[in-house]
Amino acid sequence: MNCRNIQERLVDYLTGDDDPVARNEIQEHVGSCAACREELETMTLAWTKLGVLPEQKPGPALRTRFYTMLETYKGRMDEEAAGTERRGRVRLADRFAAWWPKTPAPQMALSALLLAAGVMAGILLKPGPGRSVAIARLEAEVRDMRQQVSLSLLDRASPSDRLSGLSAASQVRDPNPRTLEALFKALDEDSNTNVRLAAVDALYLFRDDARVREGLVGSLTRQTSPLVQVALINLLADIKETRAAEALKSLIADRELRPEVRQKAEWGLRKLI
Amino acid sequence: MAPHDDSLIMTDVREGEVEKLAILFERHHLPLYNFFLRLTGNGAASEDLVQDVFVRILKYRSTYQAQSPFAVWMYQIARNAHIDFLRKRRDKDTVPLDDQWAEAAGHEPQPGEALETQRDRALIRKALDSLPENKREILFLSRFQNLKYRDIAKLQGCSEGAVKTIVHRALKDLGRAYAALQEGVTS
Repeated sequence: MNCRNIQERLVDYLTGDDDPVARNEIQEHVGSCAACREELETMTLAWTKLGVLPEQKPGPALRTRFYTMLETYKGRMDEEAAGTERRGRVRLADRFAAWWPKTPAPQMALSALLLAAGVMAGILLKPGPGRSVAIARLEAEVRDMRQQVSLSLLDRASPSDRLSGLSAASQVRDPNPRTLEALFKALDEDSNTNVRLAAVDALYLFRDDARVREGLVGSLTRQTSPLVQVALINLLADIKETRAAEALKSLIADRELRPEVRQKAEWGLRKLI
Repeated sequence: MAPHDDSLIMTDVREGEVEKLAILFERHHLPLYNFFLRLTGNGAASEDLVQDVFVRILKYRSTYQAQSPFAVWMYQIARNAHIDFLRKRRDKDTVPLDDQWAEAAGHEPQPGEALETQRDRALIRKALDSLPENKREILFLSRFQNLKYRDIAKLQGCSEGAVKTIVHRALKDLGRAYAALQEGVTS
């Protein structure tokens, strides 16, 4: 085999795209041909040194920009579809407006969540062969993303964002300890009564979890807002949490307790004992 | 992830399930970003280019043909986006690639990184700057993007043999440029 034939195959040799026979031929040739050996050495040097260029990660803004763009595109598609099929009816965007976050960062976070949920729904509604592994992986990703979005929103200054965070948490099937901790923090410490009430509703969804039931009983003794107290009593009576009886008795014993709360606590106690 | 799977997803995107583009974004944005980063040496421009590619994918989704691997189609779009980027840049000031690397964020030496690695990296970037755009692009597609020569041939609109010839010459030129630079440093 001449030098020209060998050189034509050096790239395959370098990338391992050739067969063992061809490799042997090349190795034999470069063993005896200084020019081809030098050519291969030069190419190998370049191929190897390219490996020192590191793989880098883009900033987080790239992902946010992508999901915002996709959501906008999807929104336009939906609007066009709604325009032709449901003219005169209430637009989806208007219905969302009531609970949609008012500031950009949570909007993007919630968009990412909704999108991930959409992707999941799309895949689950159309199962096909060989997709089960991908579905399981995506399910895990969506679960994790949902909890992250929830935690991120619960940490924000705006009460409407925190309400959105509670709404996102309500979609979680199996909350992790951090999510539960954030929900109880919202219930016990949030400055806004509406947020605390929404936290009661969110925690109600996880009532089968022993940690949640115990946490709710403990929270009843810490609450000061009559509205939240009543909501908690309703919840604990509803789930028949007998451990709440002691907390209710203490509440009733409190002389400064508002009459309507006392009445509700007495009702709750009757339901539990 | 199997290319076949990507094609199925892109077919769904083409048919209107555009939210599934998120799956393709999650799978491909990192290699795509690094492809642009190696070509431009500029992190911010590379992020813009990745975004541009996905905007174009949505815009031209109806033209996607399922028998074509998604990655080939995507890098075809990436190539076009990069050509447009170069055209715009040419209209402004021309900045040599190694100067861009010097300016680019995120390329500072990492703590604890061996001096030799830092020097190698600087030399290979400078050597890459001596290659024409087309050679660099094909070299990166082959070296980093895991594309087969036949796939690169498809997206370049040339024969597989022509791609191999370009990769061969690019490697030879790059190796020589690197060796010359190394000699200049050590002598």
